[in-house]
Formats: sequence, structure tokens, C-alpha cells
Amino acid sequence: MSEINVKKHRRKWEGTEIFSVIMLTLLALLILVPFWNALVISLETAAAYGKAPFSWLPGEWTLENYEYLFMSSNALAMGYKGTLIVTSIGTLCGMSISVMAAYAFSRKFPGKKVLFGIMVFTMFFGGGLIPIYLQVKNMGLLNTYAAIILLSLISVYNIIIMKNGFDSIPPDLEEAAKIDGANDFVIFIRVMLPLQKPLIATFSLFTAVAYWNSWYWPLITLSGSQKTVLQLYLRAMISSISASEKGGVLTAAGAASTSSFSQGIKMASVFMTMLPIMCVYPFLQKYFVKGILVGAVKM
Amino acid sequence: MTNGITNDRRIIHKKSVWLTMWQSKYIYLMLLPLFVWLAVFCYAPMYGIILAFKTFKARLGILGSPWCGMDHFVRIFQTPDAVRAIRNTVTISLGRLIFEFPMGIILALMLTEMPGVKVKKVYQTIYTFPHFLSWIIVGSIINNFLSGNGAVNIWLGKLGVSKVNFLANSGLFRAILYITGNWKEMGWAAIIFMASIAGIDPSLYEAATVDGASRLKQIWHVTLPGILPTICVMLILQIGNMMNAGFDQIFNLYNDVVKPVSNILDTYIYNITFLAAPNYGFSTAVGLFKSVINFILLILANGLVNRLSGQKLFQ
Repeated sequence: MSEINVKKHRRKWEGTEIFSVIMLTLLALLILVPFWNALVISLETAAAYGKAPFSWLPGEWTLENYEYLFMSSNALAMGYKGTLIVTSIGTLCGMSISVMAAYAFSRKFPGKKVLFGIMVFTMFFGGGLIPIYLQVKNMGLLNTYAAIILLSLISVYNIIIMKNGFDSIPPDLEEAAKIDGANDFVIFIRVMLPLQKPLIATFSLFTAVAYWNSWYWPLITLSGSQKTVLQLYLRAMISSISASEKGGVLTAAGAASTSSFSQGIKMASVFMTMLPIMCVYPFLQKYFVKGILVGAVKM
Repeated sequence: MTNGITNDRRIIHKKSVWLTMWQSKYIYLMLLPLFVWLAVFCYAPMYGIILAFKTFKARLGILGSPWCGMDHFVRIFQTPDAVRAIRNTVTISLGRLIFEFPMGIILALMLTEMPGVKVKKVYQTIYTFPHFLSWIIVGSIINNFLSGNGAVNIWLGKLGVSKVNFLANSGLFRAILYITGNWKEMGWAAIIFMASIAGIDPSLYEAATVDGASRLKQIWHVTLPGILPTICVMLILQIGNMMNAGFDQIFNLYNDVVKPVSNILDTYIYNITFLAAPNYGFSTAVGLFKSVINFILLILANGLVNRLSGQKLFQ
């Protein structure tokens, strides 16, 4: 083993390898620096930012930008509340319906082709924004979390990929269970679900992230109420601060006497919004990758 | 399902179908929630499409509103903003095809060339991370980075270049869309191509090495042909999405100054529906126009790629 390693180490680097390493390192920096820059600004004082708008470390550390978010109003808490409700209920319900349907479509039954076609057609053609909006309005769902949950409940693409996962389970298992007298639903719960745990976990993650990041339907359906979600909170925060700032100095009420400042507060709200994803992502990245590859292989 | 059953064989056949259907009752039950949802949120709104041919009056409802034929569609082409939105949509989509689509492939090629498994994993985690953030978040970060006091302008200042207002510059805005689009999505796009590269038969590379092909030649003659089917499929998806020029990104980055070059169909529909006195009929017509073109493009692209390479996305 060690001999091979030594050999590998001493071998001449190819031109393409050197080129790749340099370009990829630059690209990694290009992606990291804007995040780092935003983080530094959110952690420094107005005076430090005024002196040097860009620095690699905060000129003077402070948490006041974050304090401002928590103290100025309960909007951040409201945003978290809305997002947590939508994400948890949406993921649970959406995944339950999708997994059941995916399993059902992996079985043989009369009318399968037609039903599958009816489902797939919605991937390619839809009513469009206004008819869907009017539908939600007619159902009396405007300004409810239910609207946001329902509108993004199902991803046909995910169902198809999960169906492919169920397809790959050998039929012997199902037949054995049938002989033991189990019905389709029992087989689904007892036999199939445990076998597909990794796939289901992966798509639950995708669904949860999609709910966490959703802002378009919330923007449209929650416009007339106190209810909000994190992404909307961030959007409102950024635009209200931008509207009230003059020359980069915050004039918003409540912040004047402290060392928090507009750009710092903006960046603090960015980090408060992405915090959970930022914390969880590095550890779950491989599941996300697995998810997209399951789909790719089948294409 | 008619009652007029006249011959015996049909009765037997029918019974057996009913029987298998009865035996599959749990399967239908498991599909029921999905189809209720599809009916309410996909198919019922499709019926709302008739609004595109009606003058919508809220008090009369969708059914009661009077018909107006193709008036809305004629009006699309008489409205300068709508025509410009169509042109912007196509231009930006083509721009993405040229400046964004190849980047995922190039990144995948570079990542396969790069030695060192662990470093590669870390890099990949960095590249794919922005994909999981919303454009509201990414837009805020980019705004901060490119603003007057932002890092880029400070660096440019050190080089003696005067401040550039990147996000309020019509000449630069589309380029910024492509660059930030890549910034957010190229890492994610590369994953599929990397998997495809990993699936190429290693003996092909060995043979090429024996023949004395350089690494670049191997990429050109082995890797690229090997991932051609994947490239084709991704291309179909991209072309089928031509009329969606990236609403989330543009909506969170644009402003009044750059609107003339970046107002696409989706932002246009949003603006006329939710920021002005809405004309639901007209908005629906613009949306329908968009969906129909998208649908046609998808079918055309599928046929074309099928003829070229034998790859097919859907039958």
C-alpha cells in the first residue's frame, strides 16, 4: 500500500491537474468570500464598517446587529414560527402522500398507465399563476399557512424517482408477504417502507429545504396578514432598511443610539435566515447528492 | 362502464377487471390523496385557463364572465412591455444556455481531473451549498458584495478603477445574472455530469493512454463522448424551460433601472397582476402563451435530440 502511495506522490503532475487545482481553489474562494464578507459585516460595529467597509475580520466585534433583530420587534420570531409550521407539516404530509403514491405506482393494477399519465402531464403543463391563485382564493385559503403547505405539497418528479426505487425491490418479498395474508397496505408499511428508508430520508430533506426556502407563494398568499415566514421576513427587512437608509447610515427607529447599522442588520438577518441550513448542510450533503443521483441514473 | 351488456364473454371479461380492481383497492386508496391534490391544485386551475379568453368580472365569476375570444392574445403583441418581456425572456434563456449550461460540465471535468479525494469532497460541499439557499438570501449577499461600499468596488478602487454600480447598470446586468447564476447553481449542475463521468468504462482510458493520448485528448475523445447522453438530456430539460428565464433570481436582483433589459415574462405577469390593478384575463393569457410555447419547445427538443443521439426524455 505504502509503496503505491509513494509512487503516486512522486509522479509528475499533469498540466490538466495543476490547472484544475488552481481554478477550483479560486472558485471555492469566490464562493466563500461573499459569505465571509457578509458574516464579518454582521459582527462588526457601525464605526468599524464606516472606517473599512471590507475587512477580513471585524474591526470591532459586536453582537448588536443580532440583538437589534431580536429586540426591535417579534418579526424574526414570527418568521421562525411560520417557517417551522410550514416546513414540518408540509414535509410530513407531502412525503406521506408521495411515498404512498410512489409505492402504489410500482405495483400492477388496472388503469395504472392512464393514472400515471394524468400525473406526469402536470409536470409539463399547468394552469399558471392566476388560475391557481384564484383557486386558493376561492377556497378561502388566502392568508393561511395551509395555502403555502398545500401549494407546494407534491413534487411529481420526486414521486417518479421514489417509484423507481420501489421498482428495484425484488417481487419475491411482496409475494412472500402476500402468501402470509398481508394486504397491499400492510406490505407497504411493514416491508417496503423499511427497505426504502434512505431514499425517503433523502427526499424528506429535499422537501424540507424547499419549504424552508419557499417565498413566492407566501409573498402572494400572505400579503394581507400578520402571518409571515422567514424568507418574507428577510425580504421585508432588507427592503424596509434600504428604504430608510441614507448614505449607508441607519435612521430606523431604535437603532440610532446603538452601534448597530443598516448593512450589519441586513447581513445579520441573512444569517439568521440561513442558519439552520448552514449548520446542517455539511453533514447531510452526501444525502442530497445521493438523491439527485438516484434520479440521474434513471434518466 | 355502460349498462348495456349484451354478450356473455364481455360479462366475464368485465367481471375479471372489476375483480382485479377490487383486489387492488388498497392501491387505489394509496393513490387517492395524490389525485385529490392533483385535481384541486393542478387540473381545476387548468379549467381556469378559459379566463384567457374571457373578460374577467369578479362578481360574475370565471364561468359567468363574458367571452372575448383572442382579444387578450392580440393585446399581448400590441403591448410594448409584453413584447419586450418576451424578447428578454428568450435572450436571457439563450444567454444561460451559452454561459451557464457549459459551466457545470467544465466544473465536472475539472473536479475529475483534480487529485486528492478529501479536498475534492470539501470543495464539492462548498460549490453545492449556495444551491440550497433561496434567491432572497443569495440576492442579499450578492447585493452586499457588489454594492457601492461592497468588496468588489473596494478592490476595483485599489486598482484605480472608479466605482461601478453593478446592479443598476443595464449594460452589465445580464452578465451579472449569468455570473451569479453560475455562482449559485454550477456546483449542483456538476454533480450529474460527475456521476456520468464516473460511469465511463476505465478500459477506454487505458487504451487511450497506451495510444499515447494526452489528458486533454482523453477528455476530448473519451470523456466528452462518454457523457454526451447526459449532456443531451440536461439540454432538453434546459430548452424545455426556455420560457422560464429564472424568475427567482431576477425578481430578487433587479430594479427599475435595469428593468428594460431584465423584465421577463414571469416578472411581467407578477407586476401586472399584483402591483397594478389586475386584469386577470390578460394575465392568464400571458401565462398561457408562456406555457404553450414551453410545452411545444419541450416536444421539439425531445424530438431533435432523439434524432441526433437516440436519447429520449419522455415517449
